[in-house]
Amino acid sequence: DSSVYLRYIFNTCFRTVEPLEYYRRFLKENCRPDGRELGEFRTTTVNIGSISTADGSALVKLGNTTVICGVKAEFAAPPTDAPDKGYVVPNVDLPPLCSSRFRSGPPGEEAQVASQFIADVIENSQIIQKEDLCISPGKLAWVLYCDLICLDYDGNILDACTFALLAALKNVQLPEVTINEETALAEVNLKKKSYLNIRTHPVATSFAVFDDTLLIVDPTGEEEHLATGTLTIVMDEEGKLCCLHKPGGSGLTGAKLQDCMSRAVTRHKEVKKLMDEVIKSMKPK
Amino acid sequence: APPGGGEERELALALQEALEPAVRLGRYPRAQLEVSALLLEDGGSALAAALTAAALALADAGVEMYDLVVGCGLSLAPGPAPTWLLDPTRLEEERAAAGLTVALMPVLNQVAGLLGSGEGGLIESWAEAVRLGLEGCQRLYPVLQQSLVRAARRRGAAAQP
Repeated sequence: DSSVYLRYIFNTCFRTVEPLEYYRRFLKENCRPDGRELGEFRTTTVNIGSISTADGSALVKLGNTTVICGVKAEFAAPPTDAPDKGYVVPNVDLPPLCSSRFRSGPPGEEAQVASQFIADVIENSQIIQKEDLCISPGKLAWVLYCDLICLDYDGNILDACTFALLAALKNVQLPEVTINEETALAEVNLKKKSYLNIRTHPVATSFAVFDDTLLIVDPTGEEEHLATGTLTIVMDEEGKLCCLHKPGGSGLTGAKLQDCMSRAVTRHKEVKKLMDEVIKSMKPK
Repeated sequence: APPGGGEERELALALQEALEPAVRLGRYPRAQLEVSALLLEDGGSALAAALTAAALALADAGVEMYDLVVGCGLSLAPGPAPTWLLDPTRLEEERAAAGLTVALMPVLNQVAGLLGSGEGGLIESWAEAVRLGLEGCQRLYPVLQQSLVRAARRRGAAAQP
């Protein structure tokens, strides 16, 4: 049908030449080019425990955005100022293969910001009590290296990373470690493993601000590029705010912020339900 | 993991040497094709898998190529009668006395890359291993062809308005 084809060509050209105008036309009708409503998330999928060489792993997809998290547990001496605590060390990697905007070499600004964000979430939410990672106070503790790697970048990296981290930590099993009193050496019993005690379940919800006023949830890469600001809210299951990340951009009224928080609370329920279903389906019958 | 570690540099070079003969570089003057391979889980024959994946990715990207590159890994199991194992697992690789990765351009039937290390003993043993590896590459080729065709079909269907 030639008229359909012509319209298709026109739309594609318009989208390339005037992307903001193109988006505004959709936003006026309270929807977006991919058919989503302003408060609707993309299809979220999670795959837990796929990397057998890691102590815990998870793969999360938010639409096209794909993040994999691998957790490796190693021994370390506890910090001198906190001899009864272990460490959780996150690192977010945005390699060139996930998007053409990243070059190979040392971590760029976005990767560093994301790493710091995840570290803040871990700290503020108390997802793991660091005391649980202590084996022998002052002598030996666990350090959990959490590597988050983006495999496909299409916006909203922070939500995907937070979910991947949570799912991977729920998948981690640590072997029992005892300190032999005679030799003072650690003995690892690989046959006796137990899951981590995950105390809270922080879930992130990100928004993009359009033209200083309109908020849309779960922005794609294109939407992030056109946005005048972004906002990420991290909630736990009791509706407590763990973290609020608003790096510059358009200012928001208190009322708008409250709307975002309500959306974050509902998103938490969606994510928790999905994760519980996946974990339940994995348990050996 | 920090980029540019010693082992990564060697493997990156092996990747480059094996992929160059297959790509029509003359068609891309003043252009740089960056190939980035990320290993999610090492279950054995990682370099072979990376080579094959990289060649497929280049083909999928529409880069003009003379031929695909197929990789195959081998390990020499130690013992009284050393035998070469095709497509070893990580455990087999760790216990091996020697390891070899072969890269073949299947249609042109030319070896694109060869990387090996260890103590293999007789020269005939290594030649036998290379032959085994090249045979393995040829066996993999139809699978790769089919996956490329499927991907092209999917892309064609998606591009329809």
